Amino acid sequence: MLTLTSPVETRLHRLPAGGKLAVLCLFSAGLFLLRSPVWLALCLAVVALLHLTGGRDLAWRGLGALRILWPFVVIVTLWHGWTGALVEGTAIILRMLAAVAAANLVTMTTRLSDMIDVLSRVMRPIAPVLPPRRLALAVALVIRFVPVLSARVGQIVDAHRARSPRRRPGWRVLAPAALAALDDADRVAEALRARGGAG
Amino acid sequence: MGIVLDGVDYAVMGRPILQGISLALDEPRIGIVGRNGSGKTTLLRLIAGLVAPTTGRVAVDGIDPARDRKGVLRRLGILFQNPDHQILFPTVAEELAFGLRQMGQEARAAEAAVMRLLEAEGRAHWAGSATSTLSQGQKQYLCLQAVLMMEPGTILLDEPFAALDLPTRARMARRLSSLAQRLVTISHDPEAVVGCDRVIWIEAGRVFADGTANEVLPAFQDAMQRLGAGDADIDIAG
Repeated sequence: MLTLTSPVETRLHRLPAGGKLAVLCLFSAGLFLLRSPVWLALCLAVVALLHLTGGRDLAWRGLGALRILWPFVVIVTLWHGWTGALVEGTAIILRMLAAVAAANLVTMTTRLSDMIDVLSRVMRPIAPVLPPRRLALAVALVIRFVPVLSARVGQIVDAHRARSPRRRPGWRVLAPAALAALDDADRVAEALRARGGAG
Repeated sequence: MGIVLDGVDYAVMGRPILQGISLALDEPRIGIVGRNGSGKTTLLRLIAGLVAPTTGRVAVDGIDPARDRKGVLRRLGILFQNPDHQILFPTVAEELAFGLRQMGQEARAAEAAVMRLLEAEGRAHWAGSATSTLSQGQKQYLCLQAVLMMEPGTILLDEPFAALDLPTRARMARRLSSLAQRLVTISHDPEAVVGCDRVIWIEAGRVFADGTANEVLPAFQDAMQRLGAGDADIDIAG
């Protein structure tokens, strides 16, 4: 999730982030109004074409990002095959693929800081409760600490395996991982304070 | 001016960590040595204003570092032992710009200053890189640059060489020695403070010795070796 933004600069990168997100919203809402698999397939084709304008690498990465959807595709296919509603099933799968692929494309072609700028603009009405800078900091911290925490969990899993015959410790890492996360959070809070706080 | 501690005690839930510390630090290179658990990191946190003393007074160039956070930002930076606890942002450029934004600079100006720095350091290609992909030495370097961006007069270093391999350690040492800032280095390793103008040895929460590196370090090394020859790890803190 960290390297979501594609390093290869494409024409799509240069479009304004706000515009891309607005189009994405309209497009996704539109998908839910369409019922016919033909129209939905057309939508998916449009998204695929947009991917291809960004070059073959980008298109491949976009395709790769859709792999996580396969369990849903299997379940929907089985269920609708069983109930005999194959047309509805096809529509659901096409809609899901088109919506996720479009969202991925926007993510891949938009810098995180631009995304945060848009978010801050949209959230301005609640600025007195949640200052935009604090919101931006929170988003950045989440993205920064996903790899740190997953590395931490990896260390705990290794430490467990080094002294246990079990190959996978499973739920047993939950408590130590949660405590380690809290400990890390304390230290990060201190580092933040050392550089002027969340202000 | 400089760093002044006046009759400082620090206790956590009644358990004393530091006791009766009075020091006036204004040498350009200061080393603080001590064993693990001696209280030296707590001393650093007191100087940085990350914690306030239980009794006594801490002042950095006359201001209270725990109260006047804005004022202390310009005077004092701190490099933590583990860069992963210090790097707050997903990309290098954001990490470097944060301090400037904290000091009131506009986003554009901060971004431009970051690019100037990276170009001057021959690392312009780092700007958009993910901080999680950097090596340990590169992370440490990034943390140092992020501190230097804020142009503090004093930098506190907590075991700056602990996680570095030998070549990286040599580069870091060279880099640090070239800095105009006052450096306060804390370490359990006498090697790390050998070139300091003044070395303070903290033992069991008190100043045990205070003098030039030549006066303090040989005695410290002797004591550590004597302790190492015995069974040093029997006692449990608390």
